[in-house]
Amino acid sequence: MDVPGVATGGLARRRPRVRVVRLRIGRGTLVIPPLGIVLLVLVGPIVLLALYSVNLRTNIPGTPTAFSGANWKDFLTGSANPFRERFFYSMKITLLVSISATAAAYPLAYYLAFIARRFRYTLLLVLIAPFFTSYLLRIIAWTDIVLNNNGIVNQTLWDAHLRAHGNGISWLLYSNFSIFLVLFYAWIPFVSLPIFAVLENMDHQLIEAAADLGASRFKAFWTVTFPMSLPGVIAAFVFVLIPTTGEFIAPLYVGGPNNQLFGNEIQAFFGDSPNWNYGAVLAVALIVVVLVLMLLFGRFLNTDLRTQRGER
Amino acid sequence: MKLHWLGRTALTAYFWVFVLFLFAPLAVLMTFAFNQSMSPTLPITGFTTHWFHQAFSDTVLTGAVGRSIEIAAATGLFATALGIMASIGLSARRLRLRALIIAILLLPLVVPYISLAVGLLVLLNQLGLHISLWAVFLGHVVIAMPFAVLVILPRLRSLDPSMMEAARDLGSNEVTAFSLVTLPLLMPSLVSSFLICFITSFDEFAIASFLAPPGQPTFPVFLYTGSRAPGLLPELIAVGSLIIVGSLVVIAIAEGGRRWAERRLQGVPAEAAAPVDSGVPVLQI
Repeated sequence: MDVPGVATGGLARRRPRVRVVRLRIGRGTLVIPPLGIVLLVLVGPIVLLALYSVNLRTNIPGTPTAFSGANWKDFLTGSANPFRERFFYSMKITLLVSISATAAAYPLAYYLAFIARRFRYTLLLVLIAPFFTSYLLRIIAWTDIVLNNNGIVNQTLWDAHLRAHGNGISWLLYSNFSIFLVLFYAWIPFVSLPIFAVLENMDHQLIEAAADLGASRFKAFWTVTFPMSLPGVIAAFVFVLIPTTGEFIAPLYVGGPNNQLFGNEIQAFFGDSPNWNYGAVLAVALIVVVLVLMLLFGRFLNTDLRTQRGER
Repeated sequence: MKLHWLGRTALTAYFWVFVLFLFAPLAVLMTFAFNQSMSPTLPITGFTTHWFHQAFSDTVLTGAVGRSIEIAAATGLFATALGIMASIGLSARRLRLRALIIAILLLPLVVPYISLAVGLLVLLNQLGLHISLWAVFLGHVVIAMPFAVLVILPRLRSLDPSMMEAARDLGSNEVTAFSLVTLPLLMPSLVSSFLICFITSFDEFAIASFLAPPGQPTFPVFLYTGSRAPGLLPELIAVGSLIIVGSLVVIAIAEGGRRWAERRLQGVPAEAAAPVDSGVPVLQI
């Protein structure tokens, strides 16, 4: 098999090397279309938002455009800036959800990896299946059927005469509780996955060794299993943290005026009361926060793309 | 080491309580889809399929579902095609700026959808374009593509390179070798990729809520506005139940099919082919 333009090049044993070079050029260029789409549809808008955030572009007619950090200054340092306060409130909810979901998911993953031996993949699928059903529909089920004032929870309490009829629990909806519950519910199936993956691939002989050396079951878990599973735990935590940071759908349904999240503020600036310049500050700030979180925790996510074949 | 039976029982109970917690709202939704009462509240007043009939005759609703299916199918195809390109490109032995390219390709996984949505709105405005379903489609392709890469690339890496080499030695050029050898072997992951991208697009609300033009809502956008109107709620619940059942069935079939196909193609037991070794296992569904 002759490679055009090479066959005359001399020694036969040099051919494979030439072929490798040709392959490199051919294959590598295939990343250009996907790369181009991301640059155009994702990086482009982000750059544009950044320009808006420093007032180099504007949607407000008649406003002169010139570089100005005023919006950033107001957001970052303005005293009692409502959007900054909303951001910290959001982060509190996000952290609470991420930590709770990770903690609650650990026993699920442990069960799958160590107890449900034979059916573990099927049960794993059962656990994560709800994650692949419509997010909005799941929220609607909670909002309009389970938690609302004459919803299942309140009705059941009334029927059991635990509460006076018609007197529903007020914090079931439009509260920190409802935001927490819905987000926790939405993410828990997904969170158990990275923990399961780590536990599943763990060298079980190490745990047995701990037992052989006289460790109690709890001690073996606490000194061997748990520390070894930490990368999975952190990955799980980040799996919730990152998407929840920009969450704005759940509060539309289950949040009251005081429980809206940072994402809702962004939405408002580009929807009801258009001030794209200020909104862009919030949108860019959100991206920056998420990217920083990613830089801090990203190495735990082990997306496994960098390792070459066979080096795993 | 064996766990104490008490621990085993407790963990088993914990697991099943969680499964119940996860599926209860879905089950509740499906139950009320057949309830006669206008409002989805207890007590159950009687069995009816009326809401399904009403849903199917609501052209705005069926139109929204149709629109979402079209965009999701197109997203599945395009994102998977781009995922194949990216995966092959990344599997090149030498690639300049590999780390940067990977970072950019996976960036859509971390950029919050709300920021991307408003960014696209601003971009369209900048280009003097109106919001459109095309913009929704492009947005969905970008957010779905990293999933395609994460599904396809590990599978591509797991293939035995000697098979490609054999094809080359037998005289096929790179394109033929790819389409006759690599592509069929990738097929299970391509189906998974299509399904994940389909679901991602079908369920996406943030981008669609900003970029779908008035009068042309996608299903999630219609669901959002419709669920605020009590009169529409029963039919939304009916259609929602069908969609939930459909998703669950597709997931079950896809996973079953994937295990079967990988077993056949590679001769490895389902256990070994199961999705736990890639770091982002869920993405291999």
